[in-house]
Amino acid sequence: MHPPGPEHARRRVCTAAAAAVLAASLGPVRRARAETIHADHGRVIPPVPLPPIGLRCADGQSTDLAALVQGRATALHLMYATCSTVCPIQGAIFERVQALLPDQDRNGILLLSLSIDPLDDTPATLRDWLGRFHARGGWVAAAPAYAELDRLLEVFGQGRNAVENHATQVNIIDRGGQLVYRTPQLPSADSVADILRRI
Amino acid sequence: MGQDLFTGMIELHGRIRTHTVDLPPAVVRCANCHAAGSGPDVPRSLAPRLSHELLLVPRARRGGPPSHYDRGRFCTLLRAGTDPAHILISVEMPNYTLSDEQCWALWRFSIASSHAPARP
Repeated sequence: MHPPGPEHARRRVCTAAAAAVLAASLGPVRRARAETIHADHGRVIPPVPLPPIGLRCADGQSTDLAALVQGRATALHLMYATCSTVCPIQGAIFERVQALLPDQDRNGILLLSLSIDPLDDTPATLRDWLGRFHARGGWVAAAPAYAELDRLLEVFGQGRNAVENHATQVNIIDRGGQLVYRTPQLPSADSVADILRRI
Repeated sequence: MGQDLFTGMIELHGRIRTHTVDLPPAVVRCANCHAAGSGPDVPRSLAPRLSHELLLVPRARRGGPPSHYDRGRFCTLLRAGTDPAHILISVEMPNYTLSDEQCWALWRFSIASSHAPARP
């Protein structure tokens, strides 16, 4: 094998220079693209205080979203009980989160299934939803009043339409009642449990 | 066998591609999201209706050159989530662990049905 000569060195310099030019030209594009791709999830800066949206829970009780989550680390997803597509997957994810967090309720961690179909999702329907996924204490299902749906989607909907294409992210709310994190669509239960343990 | 796999009479095993464990078979049934042939709609679903036309007629995907499915590409889609243009499809579609026999049965079922209106 011959030792590298001047031609080899010249090629290396040219290659390095070309790579630097390419990196410089792609850098801003790559950064902008990454921001676009990830714009819908990650930390919410600044945190968003939850509005006082009235809810009717699966147990028939009326409450207020802000009051319900106050003092608890909360994972919230949007769903509706008659959805056969992504909602069952969302329910299965929460079921596994509960399995991963056996002391969930005692540790002040709340799972909240929030319906975007308040006309059909009565307390009985929501109880059935919870039953399908063997929900234990600390997993609440609730629906807003119809008139409040737009306000709800303003906070959690991420620009998707309400029914056919609703967001499947999990929204993380800290113990002070502020939305602080949005996961990617259909996150793994492990990642949701991990976030809930840490906030 | 293909229809039974499609409807969930025979269980399929699948997971969202970012997950480390399978989901319960009941939530990854094809029929939860997809209609097939001239069968009834899946209410409010955005997933495409499976048919001879969808899979075999060449079509430009995202403005690229026309491409279509064949048996191998169909199985790649089910197992790895990439379409005939080598693009990862939506994360909502699970990746399935299934045998060649199961995959081919689903392929035969899917291309056997047409969404064209039946002739009188």
